[in-house]
Amino acid sequence: MLVALLACVGTSAGYAPRGSADVESKILATEHIWGQAYVSKDPKALGMILDDAFVNIDSDGNLQTKADVLAEVKTSTVLQFLTESMVVNLHGNTAIVTGIFEIKGVDRGKPYAQRERFVDTWLYKNEQWVSIAGLVARIGQ
Amino acid sequence: MRKIGLLSVLACALTVPVCAQESAGNDAATSIRALEHEWVEAQSHHDNRALDLIFDNALVYIEYGRLVSKGDYLLRVKSTKPRLDQIVMEAMTVRMFETTAIVVGAYRETEVKDGRSLVERWRFVDTWVYENGRWMLVAAAAVPLSK
Repeated sequence: MLVALLACVGTSAGYAPRGSADVESKILATEHIWGQAYVSKDPKALGMILDDAFVNIDSDGNLQTKADVLAEVKTSTVLQFLTESMVVNLHGNTAIVTGIFEIKGVDRGKPYAQRERFVDTWLYKNEQWVSIAGLVARIGQ
Repeated sequence: MRKIGLLSVLACALTVPVCAQESAGNDAATSIRALEHEWVEAQSHHDNRALDLIFDNALVYIEYGRLVSKGDYLLRVKSTKPRLDQIVMEAMTVRMFETTAIVVGAYRETEVKDGRSLVERWRFVDTWVYENGRWMLVAAAAVPLSK
């Protein structure tokens, strides 16, 4: 399912990744796939949208590689992943996405909910948008 | 970065370029490391003119989980009284993607409050884009490291 969605996000040869609502909606769709990967525990879909050199900083300040994030997805306890206030800023073949996500889940029998702000950097590479960096911060942190 | 309102800065960064395209990439990585230091230096002197040249107009900055625009950032630098805080840059890694660069690093901040020194370590990620013949900061964010 997610892989099928990714096929829609991918672009045809000759596609110009410059400032359009179309580009923004493609990137936002990819952000959605990222969130849903945590719900479906599907690292395969996420693996296609993270660059091999991807690096993330989580809300505790831990540095995560692509492999770390994919491993995290496999053991995810997230049941619901919602995003809000997402904004895309395009800079040529680079896009910055800011937003807030709210997750709900159950970990070792205990329900939890988290609301955090994120910033992701996307790069248009080999005719598709891939994420090269991210950071998540607790709101009010 | 570094927290708005700092006065003195010790910038003794250890930097490691991580680059696929060695030569041009190393030159660019050197430029970007220099810009990271310029940023800290400019902020320590409340030099908004220098910051204005480093920051892209669409800069997004996340501090304490809040989203801050370039205008907000510069306004706060301008209106903040100098404080006896200190920032020491630690290791910094620059990853080059042609006209985009990702900088990941850490810094240690010492804040003087009620005569006491409080030390906090932060980890940051910055995104630089080469546009109109120069590298501009388009996104930056930092979170405190858990103790």
